[in-house]
Amino acid sequence: MSITDLTSMGEPQVELKKEINDRLSKLQDEVSDYCYQCAKCTSGCEAHKLLELEPHKIVALLKQGLIDEMVNSDIIWTCMSCFKCRERCPQKIAPVEILFALKNLAVAGGKQVPGKYTSVLQSVLSIGLIQDAQSVTTKDMKTKTRDDLGLPPLSKPDDPAKFQAGLMKIAVEKV
Amino acid sequence: MKKKLALYTGCLMSTEQYGYELSVRESLPLLDVQLVDIAGFSCCGEPLKSVNQLLTLYLSARNLAIAEKHNLDVFAPCAMCHLALSECKQVLQNNPDMKTRINEMLAAEELTFEGNGEIVHTVDLLHDHIGIEEIAKHVKKPLKGLKFATHYGCHLIRPSEIGRPDDSEHPVKIEAIISVLGAETAKYPEKLDCCGGILQINLDESALTKSGQKLKAVQNQGFDGLVDVCPWCHKMFDARQVKAGETVAAKLNVPVFYLTQLLGLAFGVKKEKLGLDFNISPVDKLEIG
Ligand code: SF4
Ligand code: SF4
Repeated sequence: MSITDLTSMGEPQVELKKEINDRLSKLQDEVSDYCYQCAKCTSGCEAHKLLELEPHKIVALLKQGLIDEMVNSDIIWTCMSCFKCRERCPQKIAPVEILFALKNLAVAGGKQVPGKYTSVLQSVLSIGLIQDAQSVTTKDMKTKTRDDLGLPPLSKPDDPAKFQAGLMKIAVEKV
Repeated sequence: MKKKLALYTGCLMSTEQYGYELSVRESLPLLDVQLVDIAGFSCCGEPLKSVNQLLTLYLSARNLAIAEKHNLDVFAPCAMCHLALSECKQVLQNNPDMKTRINEMLAAEELTFEGNGEIVHTVDLLHDHIGIEEIAKHVKKPLKGLKFATHYGCHLIRPSEIGRPDDSEHPVKIEAIISVLGAETAKYPEKLDCCGGILQINLDESALTKSGQKLKAVQNQGFDGLVDVCPWCHKMFDARQVKAGETVAAKLNVPVFYLTQLLGLAFGVKKEKLGLDFNISPVDKLEIG
């Protein structure tokens, strides 16, 4: 068994896609019923000024069912998950959760994931952590490991094969 | 009363942000907290939420299940981990089908998630569980004459629906802790601004700009330093401060501390033991400890 199902973004994951689509259509119903486009979400959005993300427009596009357009756009990857939009929406809508679902859908659909997401994912799937323990340099240029500092051994999955067996079920999970 | 907690070390603190881990391990036992190390934890999954939310849920449930096996509540010093674990607990408690499904997957590692344990972060552990009065009893070297800006971190205070350690718009607990350590704090308009940390993965320039803007504001308002409680935020503000400054055309010179480092200093713990050698920002400028 390999972990390629989760890492090879080239292969569309049919079941996973279906599940995320269900999640999105639930969100779409919510949005259609309650969002009145007040744009409070956008006014506090951390990615708005810098990266031109407009969560209220994401919500409007979802309402119109323009999911493919968003999935294929880079803009969904500018959210920094500050959760302010979710916190402040007077209608209890969570644009940030819509964005998570859209990004998940992009990945499940085989779209290339941006930046270092592939390597971060690969690291978590193989050793269980986003990176292994680093040696760190102090201000006066001394290099130290956990061991040098008297810190206990790094806590990580002690049986990677078993750990991956659990993860594999996510990749092949039937809904 | 001794409080016994599983120390959930996560990824970033335990693989490079040693200043946080060292200061947590040094200062909290002085307050009668017993930290228990458990082998076998993994990433909480929060950094991968954009890739696959089911993966996030699974990884968090897995970690909580490991702690439950040892009958221990969990202490997660990272704001991201604390959110992932808390959200997982809430989602699985309210969704029995999902809980069953996750538990079927966890069976591969002979683990079961029940959802009985508590999950705390540095801020609520200190402020709510230990308490300001108790902390006051241990202060030996008050941090006199210093004024700090605080940074809570988005994941620590939002979404409030999940139950977070402090208020989403007016968090005050770090201020209360710093004040009992003898230093001052002040409100500033950028207090709730995001560090941009998560964007390090795919839009690094923008992440640096976010941190740079906040640090610049802190510097311009005359604070002696910035205090944070999350390894992601701290990495941005401390280790990456010079680069962050470059992106906003500012020469930044802001000492950045973990709250637990200040705690240790005020308790009279030696600097070296609190990992202050690893703070890249100019913490020595303040001559404390
Ligand atoms: S704040 Fe809520 S109601 Fe207003 S535009 Fe955003 S999602 Fe819609
Ligand atoms: S969570 Fe994302 S979309 Fe929402 S306010 Fe923050 S950056 Fe903007």
